[in-house]
Amino acid sequence: MFPPSLPAVAPGQLVNVKVRVKEPTIIRYRAYRRDFVGGMRAMVPWLIGVAPFGLVIGVSAAQADIPTLAGWLTGPLIYAGSAQVATIQMLDAGAAPYAVIVTAMVINLRLILYSGAMATYWRGTPLWWRLLGGYLLIDPSFVVGVERYGRESDRRRGHAHYLGGAVVLWVTWLAVIAVGATAGARLPDWLRLEFLIPLYLIGEIVPKLRQVATRRAVLVAAVVAVACLSVPMHLGIAIGIVAGIAAGVTNAPGMGRPAVKSEAVSTEEGHR
Amino acid sequence: MNAWTVVLAAGFGSYLLRMSMIGAADRIRLPSRLDDSAVLVAPTAFAALAVTSIAGSMLGAGVPQAFAPLAAATVAVLAVLRTGSTYAAVLAGMPTLWILTLLTSA
Repeated sequence: MFPPSLPAVAPGQLVNVKVRVKEPTIIRYRAYRRDFVGGMRAMVPWLIGVAPFGLVIGVSAAQADIPTLAGWLTGPLIYAGSAQVATIQMLDAGAAPYAVIVTAMVINLRLILYSGAMATYWRGTPLWWRLLGGYLLIDPSFVVGVERYGRESDRRRGHAHYLGGAVVLWVTWLAVIAVGATAGARLPDWLRLEFLIPLYLIGEIVPKLRQVATRRAVLVAAVVAVACLSVPMHLGIAIGIVAGIAAGVTNAPGMGRPAVKSEAVSTEEGHR
Repeated sequence: MNAWTVVLAAGFGSYLLRMSMIGAADRIRLPSRLDDSAVLVAPTAFAALAVTSIAGSMLGAGVPQAFAPLAAATVAVLAVLRTGSTYAAVLAGMPTLWILTLLTSA
């Protein structure tokens, strides 16, 4: 008899049965497996791009004058490469705690914009999905997710696509940081691996200098940061960032509106 | 406040930033100026971090040794300009740093 818990009733007798219908889950893995895997595939180019950066962060965490595990924890907690670099570097340099936190927050301010963009697609979703999706939100997952949401009428398929890409990114990111931290702790000092980060950052900056607004912003940020080297608590970095952004968005005569949209999230920019 | 607390606080703050608009997108629209400035955050942060780190390396060394980080950074810039590859900076800059460090400390 189904369901087995019902009492026996006479034929034709009306019974009042309460049936608890389980709420449809936002993603049924089997139904949307293809979309989930599609999201993972779409993330592969990003993984190749961000893996070296994760290794560098891991190495810097191992070399820095902070517990290696604390450096690795910037991965799951902050989960944004440049903010992680800033946090590790500034802690290593002995910067004031509040300066470190403020700098990480300033660097991550763009997440507000990503949050606003994804919110339009996540309207009406359960709280747990928003909490999870929001946690996994970073440049690559944002791009992979938005690209699919934009051409998919079935939001649930878009959710599966986003989740597939975001999860594989998260796992890979934490793994490569761990590899870098493990290997980095055993490497000799003469390698001067701490210099990997500024060199890597140079590699990220230089290709972007074609944009006038970006060039102006980068130059001002660099000059101000150097000029503020003696500012206490290493606030010079945060001051440089703010000054650079201000210079970049300021429309000088004849320069027009800063052309920054198209360079928002390039593949090489990766896991910023 | 130790390193653990700082990492935890920065992580919590970052999560708040991620969640900030997810529940309020229908009611809030960001000014276009703020929208534009968002993409400048990463390059300016990178520039500030890079020059601070390079300057730090130079300040801590003697006169001949201080030359090595600056030269390595210069070579890195030229390598990226030449090749267009992000990783050229590391591939050209690190050997330059090692060689010049060896030469200047000999």
